[in-house]
Amino acid sequence: MLEVDSLTVSFGSATPAVEGASLTLAEGDGLLVCGATGAGKSTLLAAAAGLVPRLVRQAAFSGSVRLDDRPLADRTTAELFAQMGIVLQNLDDQLWDLGVEDLIAFPLENRGGEREAIRARVSELLLALGLDGLRGRRVLTLSGGERRMVALAASLALVPRLLVLDEPTTGLDPAARLRLVETLSRLRNAIPMLLIAEQDAAPLLGVASRIAFMHDAVLADGVATAGAMQGDRAWLEAGVLPPRRPRHRRAACTGGRTLLGVAGLRTARARGDGAPVLRDVAFEVGAGEVVGLIGRNGAGKTTLVQTMLGLIKAAAGGVALAGEDAAGWTPARRARRIGYVPQNMRRVLFNLTVREELLSALTGSTRATADAALAERVQAVLARYGLGATGEASPFGLSTRQQALLGLACVDCTSADVAVLDEPLLARDLEGRRMLEGFLDRLTAGGRGAMLISHDLELIDDVTDRTLILDDGRIVFDGPTAQAWDSAAFAGLGWPAPHFAEAA
Amino acid sequence: MRRAHEVNFFVKLLLASLIMVAAWLAPSWIIGWAIALAVVALLGATRVPGLRGYLKGGLLLVALVMGTWTVNLTLQGLPLDAALATAARMAARLIATTGAFFFVMETSTPGSILAACSAARLPSMATLVLSLVFGVIPMLREEFERIGDAQRARGMEIDGVPLPTRLRFALARGVPLLVQAVRMAHAISISLAIYGYDTRHKRSTWRHVGLMVEARLPLPERSP
Repeated sequence: MLEVDSLTVSFGSATPAVEGASLTLAEGDGLLVCGATGAGKSTLLAAAAGLVPRLVRQAAFSGSVRLDDRPLADRTTAELFAQMGIVLQNLDDQLWDLGVEDLIAFPLENRGGEREAIRARVSELLLALGLDGLRGRRVLTLSGGERRMVALAASLALVPRLLVLDEPTTGLDPAARLRLVETLSRLRNAIPMLLIAEQDAAPLLGVASRIAFMHDAVLADGVATAGAMQGDRAWLEAGVLPPRRPRHRRAACTGGRTLLGVAGLRTARARGDGAPVLRDVAFEVGAGEVVGLIGRNGAGKTTLVQTMLGLIKAAAGGVALAGEDAAGWTPARRARRIGYVPQNMRRVLFNLTVREELLSALTGSTRATADAALAERVQAVLARYGLGATGEASPFGLSTRQQALLGLACVDCTSADVAVLDEPLLARDLEGRRMLEGFLDRLTAGGRGAMLISHDLELIDDVTDRTLILDDGRIVFDGPTAQAWDSAAFAGLGWPAPHFAEAA
Repeated sequence: MRRAHEVNFFVKLLLASLIMVAAWLAPSWIIGWAIALAVVALLGATRVPGLRGYLKGGLLLVALVMGTWTVNLTLQGLPLDAALATAARMAARLIATTGAFFFVMETSTPGSILAACSAARLPSMATLVLSLVFGVIPMLREEFERIGDAQRARGMEIDGVPLPTRLRFALARGVPLLVQAVRMAHAISISLAIYGYDTRHKRSTWRHVGLMVEARLPLPERSP
């Protein structure tokens, strides 16, 4: 049994990250903690798993966490983590440059397991999670969703007493989510306790027996999953989108003049079997249009963006920006027309302060400037995204949500014709969604366009005018979003269509 | 030839050390350069990652050594041909040495080093140190390149600009590289803790390790 009692954790700010949280997980229990980004879910899970205070320094820690009637603090690190399976929200915090098999085998090798037993267990997990195609690859070269599944496999290698998953569906395509849920359901008998934090609760309802909402560092009592699904109020109060809500589409736009045109694109980068990652890819993004791009994990969506930006060489085909052939353009020149916001913003930050990040987005330079008008503009944009007080903070010290908002702010203040948003981690909490939709509205009202890459099909349905489906290296569907879910190309993916409740 | 990447880390280390000794003991600059060029040819034939960058650095190194040593030795009164021969011999030693260890570094993943060390039943602390020393440098190099790509993706013109501008942007990568290095160290320490790495216990490996280190786990045949 896991017992968390009156837990308060603070990292030095005026308000604690978790305040007075208590929860109990008995054998066979699965608890889903739901709340907006920044509610304190990750800190709660880190404390329940023993990462805080053992491995992560905090300013204040009070209360107790006990597993099987013994405080976590009484166990050695090796003893503690032999009973925990952990997958963090930001996988960069727990992965390094190991191979796929190395990572899955790591917990077993470190405990001196027999080689044949390790090989058998790794094979079993690779097959169970559909990861056999990734054998021999380096973890850091995988797509975000693939990495998450490999980290999950590693956390299951020892068959933990408590499995702690922080936002486990992030970056997973719907098929991978189904595999995740199937695996967790199958393992429910073997793994006594399951603790999950997630904003997108719907896929995981089958594996959790209770849901507890968390809002502003305070954890509410858990309620039965079925009860939580009865109404929207609890979800809205927790600041997250309810899982079964009526469809809410932005006003549709048919698109004006072409801002981004991709024709006959084939990459020099190839897959293991020698086939190019992308072949004969063609599409357009028009003024005022929001275009969605969906495809399986590892389908080449990020490769497509990198090729459009000129960071990866194209073997054939071309990219045109506002009607101009960009063949001879440097990546930086292309990037001034294509504003890119990656899923992990940490990867594109390189200034000391948030203000400097925005200034460099505006000026295309890292040189300091004393221009008062620029400074005023930067402050206005920061305030628009709720970052007004963070101007002098380090961008690396911002929360994941704030970094995503900084990404939007950086594109907002440039004159890029098209914004490319790669799986924005803002889509499921109400405030984040409001900011995202506001960003798209401003962009399209100004005659600019956007491309949204996401596995969140409800988000794609809500905010995009047109959808592209990338499969087998090609665009196999390009049409109005409303028609995408009935297309043969979508059926080929084998994914469930986005689910909405009937409007009242 | 890419199979050469899968040679046991300790065998690579031994061969690199032997090449280094041979290059430093070479009796003339001609033999020294024969060894150095053989090493560079090996790097090309085995398609070592990052070779282009290494060759640029290597050319710069050769130019610097040839220039400074020739001037220095000539000023000390050595005839020009003897000064050139000595400088060429030193440049060859450095190319052979750095090239051989570049091969070891770039083709040995932390996983393959961990496997070789574990199979050799080395103490866990030694295993960890070797994996980090040889494994992290390529990670940092990749990180440096990735930050350059991030600068490009954010509209920083770092290609086709004057050298001072390129240098300024390269220096600007120092801060995020430092931040990333700290984060990487943090991630590695978290990973070691949660996956149970204990320096007091010897570890095992899933790989078959001999002269070669197995790179990929074959899956068992599925019954029809």
